[in-house]
Amino acid sequence: MDPAERIEAASKFLLQSPPGEINDVLNDVRNIISDDDSLQAGVLPALREYNTTQFTTAEVPGHQHQSIVSEAARVESSGDGEGEDEAASQDRYWDPRSRTSFRFDHLSLESSEPEPIEPDSESEPFRVALETASLQYLQAHYHDGVTSVFPVAGSSTRFIIQIVANKYNPTNFWSGRWRSEYTLDLAAQTLTGKILLSVHYYEQGNVQLSTTHAVSLALPPAIAVSGGAGAAAKALALVEAEESRYQAGLADAYAEMGEKTFKGLRRALPMTRSKLDWDRVLGYKLGQELTNSKGVFGQPA
Amino acid sequence: MGDLVDSMLDLMRRLPPTHVEENVASLVAMCPDYADDLLGSVDQPLKVLTDRATGKEYLACDYNRDGDSYRSPWSNEYDPPLEDGTVPSPKLRKLEITANEAFDTYREMYYEGGVSSVFLWDLDDGGFAGVVLLKKTLTPQSPGEPSGSWDSIHVFEAAERGRQAHYKLTSTIMLQMVDRSASTRGSKEESALGKGGRLVSEKAEADNAKRDGEVTLSGSMTRQGEQDFPLQDQASHITNTGKMIEEMEIKMRNLLQEVYFGKTRDVVFDLRSLDDLEKARRQRELQKELVGFIKR
Repeated sequence: MDPAERIEAASKFLLQSPPGEINDVLNDVRNIISDDDSLQAGVLPALREYNTTQFTTAEVPGHQHQSIVSEAARVESSGDGEGEDEAASQDRYWDPRSRTSFRFDHLSLESSEPEPIEPDSESEPFRVALETASLQYLQAHYHDGVTSVFPVAGSSTRFIIQIVANKYNPTNFWSGRWRSEYTLDLAAQTLTGKILLSVHYYEQGNVQLSTTHAVSLALPPAIAVSGGAGAAAKALALVEAEESRYQAGLADAYAEMGEKTFKGLRRALPMTRSKLDWDRVLGYKLGQELTNSKGVFGQPA
Repeated sequence: MGDLVDSMLDLMRRLPPTHVEENVASLVAMCPDYADDLLGSVDQPLKVLTDRATGKEYLACDYNRDGDSYRSPWSNEYDPPLEDGTVPSPKLRKLEITANEAFDTYREMYYEGGVSSVFLWDLDDGGFAGVVLLKKTLTPQSPGEPSGSWDSIHVFEAAERGRQAHYKLTSTIMLQMVDRSASTRGSKEESALGKGGRLVSEKAEADNAKRDGEVTLSGSMTRQGEQDFPLQDQASHITNTGKMIEEMEIKMRNLLQEVYFGKTRDVVFDLRSLDDLEKARRQRELQKELVGFIKR
């Protein structure tokens, strides 16, 4: 494998990291590649992709809350930066809640260089209403979640609501992540979204839950930009109903897999409801082999 | 550099079990010098092959591999054929034949289908070692039904000590289940409600909604055990390892049930609560106030 192929393979490993374990995976990969210089530059795109698709949360400099670092949060570079500034300008994200943009380091996960940013005045009032409703929803259903609501650039009728919740418990060998994202399109009157769950349990083993759920539904007419706070609350009520429904469906799927699939793979005990009598198993088989002068093995034992 | 192998094994304990084969292949390509260490330590899903001589299915893993060929427990032949492939001594082969018969019965009793294979090999100190493999796959009859697979790998070492034998067992079970109904489950119930006349607006919404998704539970768990058993004759090795493996599988099946359906589910419900937490908070406040009121 040439160095470029090794970096590519390392990048693939990083993108598969379970919740909260990116640093452990990075340490393993460092040891395997054992060439820090080429690694650090080479895996930056993978780290960026991992952080933005996994809805990594960042401390907003100068504020008491966290915001989500994702593709929707990326601040388009103004284009005056050239060459060396390219990577840095690529890694500016913004928190609409505090109207702050910041630089995010995808390796150290630190945010810096805060700057005030002016949101689009047309979409901002409804975005704020959605954000308030989303924060309320977060309080009601998540123990430890972060939400960000972004306007879609160039549109005053499309908004992206993102939610992420993480629980890392390395002392008890488990971690979990819930991600959901919804695009609210008030012109098309649709809500499309996805829920992604990953859980890792790794005490003397490696067990993972991984789920995908995509949804697309039509909005009731009451949800419009002119509807203000009431319409925003209704939109989040749709999100709440969808997520609760999915969670209930997941509980049912668990029950079904436990009842049918698990039992269908291996019984708890044989049909006889007792363990095997190994002396009889052997006696029976040996006896059978003696009577059949030609067994499956071609020769009698 | 044992350090490197440790890093590779740590990595395999973290990356998704559904991609174990691709990831092992990548690591082997990255560090070809450590291929044997890695292939010998990371359990991969068992492959089902067909014995050309008997037509019977058997399981392939690192323990019955020689180069690119795999030995069948039924005919003792390698596929693709090998002139000088490693085979057990005639005495051990005799025991291997009987063990395969016995575990075939075990498989039928517990798995009601699937494939089993037992491979034995001589050890330098005069003892022997072996691996008992079991695999069952459930393929859905319709797209909505769940699918799954179970792979058991039991590696043991036997040491004779007079009329006793000492066994060391390392057992790994790989279990995978996929369900495609979780996303649409809720909506079915809802339209059933709608037919009853209630929630008409929600019924209309349900008809317009499109949902799709997949739930995958996958992984592996490993446990070890040691035990002494009396030894009457060579066949005692089969009853002894049989009992030990049966106990281990019963214990591990309970453990898998607890982790797959208990622990991972608990984490999900720890991330998001179905009940309204804010309501519960307010209720607690109210209760506190009431208690304070009564005390006054």
